[in-house]
Amino acid sequence: MGLLTILKKMKHKEREMRLLMLGLDNAGKTTILKKFNGEDVSTISPTLGFNIKTLEHKGFKLNIWDVGGQKSLRSYWRNYFESTDGLVWVVDSADRLRLEDCRQELSSLLLEERLSSATLLVFANKQDLPGSLSKEAIREALALDQIKSHHWSIISCSALTGENLLSGVDWLLDDIAARVFTAD
Amino acid sequence: MRFLKDSGSLCLLEVMFGSIWGCFYASFLRYWLKWFIRQVTGRCELQRICADCKSGAPRTTKAEYSLKNSKSSVLRAAVDVEEDHLDQCLDVIIREKHIKSQKDPTFRSNLKVCLLQITGYTNLFASTEALRKENFDSERDEHEEMLLKLWDLLMPDTKLESRVTKQWGDIGFQGDDPKTDFRGMGMLGLTNLVFFSEHYTQEARQVLSHANHPKLGYSYAIVGINLTEMAYSLMKGGALKPHFYNTVSGRPQLLHFHQLYCYLAYHFDKFWVEEKPASIMEFNHYREKFHDKIKIQLLDPAVSLILTEESKKQPTK
Repeated sequence: MGLLTILKKMKHKEREMRLLMLGLDNAGKTTILKKFNGEDVSTISPTLGFNIKTLEHKGFKLNIWDVGGQKSLRSYWRNYFESTDGLVWVVDSADRLRLEDCRQELSSLLLEERLSSATLLVFANKQDLPGSLSKEAIREALALDQIKSHHWSIISCSALTGENLLSGVDWLLDDIAARVFTAD
Repeated sequence: MRFLKDSGSLCLLEVMFGSIWGCFYASFLRYWLKWFIRQVTGRCELQRICADCKSGAPRTTKAEYSLKNSKSSVLRAAVDVEEDHLDQCLDVIIREKHIKSQKDPTFRSNLKVCLLQITGYTNLFASTEALRKENFDSERDEHEEMLLKLWDLLMPDTKLESRVTKQWGDIGFQGDDPKTDFRGMGMLGLTNLVFFSEHYTQEARQVLSHANHPKLGYSYAIVGINLTEMAYSLMKGGALKPHFYNTVSGRPQLLHFHQLYCYLAYHFDKFWVEEKPASIMEFNHYREKFHDKIKIQLLDPAVSLILTEESKKQPTK
């Protein structure tokens, strides 16, 4: 194996990204994953454990981890932190009652050492539902403006219709690529 | 290297020959053979299937294939016939195939059962689909009553303190209000859960006690909804045909779908307990393993996934 092949292989390996998708139960994580992957989203049941999908997008190999959000599973989230490049935090914009719960979970995640170098994308999901909060309202409720430790952005979306999923992921990839692969 | 290359092209040739043969068989040879056997035996393919194959999946599966691949549009349409027109349809088939009822007196009734099973499966799928699409709605009394009934059946000694409460976690829902947990399975998920608790109360409570085990535990209701999804997808893909052909000698009803769910719920629990997964995070891996096991069982022409005293003792591995 020549030096060039090794270099090429290393570069190729570098273009892999690991995305971790978290959020409270019923936020729509699995629906986002499936919709993004072009699968049917009408027959989803609650996630126990996790789902993982590997897909190619914009020349990157994405490993997307979707971990169940129910309370009893949240203590397992930490098992998936290692070498995460991007954290996707999914919010049910119509679930006003649990926004405080949602804020607390997110802020404790951001204190995690192993997530300190990850870019944060917040999806204000379920915009198709009447009575869903705008991304500005979510931004305020989650106190996103106070985040100084991570690059972050909030994007309103609907996993059901697929609206804005692509632009969210594209922003995330661009941000990670700018941080990680600038040496190229 | 040379050898490998040669065996590679040999394989390709074999595949090519295989597919040419398949085409040839389906478009020419099958008809010639059928014609020849008909001349010799004096009976058409459907008659031979109805007389020689064991009732249930062996007979109905073959009859379904024969009808769907028939040259006659009347026969091909028979697999979609409505119940009201079934007798009429049988008359037409008998006339079309010149079958003498005196010579083959059981043909009509045997084929009738096959047609009831074949069309019944399609109708049963439509019923499960309709129930799945019915979302759980807190505004509807009958939905709310069913949910509370599920609690009472599973937890007869504990009163639910309020409609929205952490107690729902005790029977394996995710949060304080189960309404968001039914998701893509809708009322089909809740109906399955209630049916199991109502008709196999002891078994359901036993499964729940395993699910609440401190180490090997899992979320009872959420796993149940995942198993509804499994049953639904098997149904949708047609994989459950042999099971229903063997266990219902007529039109399968929703009740039979619920019974199949009970089989899955009981046997998944048994499987889980025996496999001893490291944690609930392994759920999807074991669900797939169980799914594969069920799919293999469904390949057996004698398959019958009914929860009986005997089937409860079946080894899971």
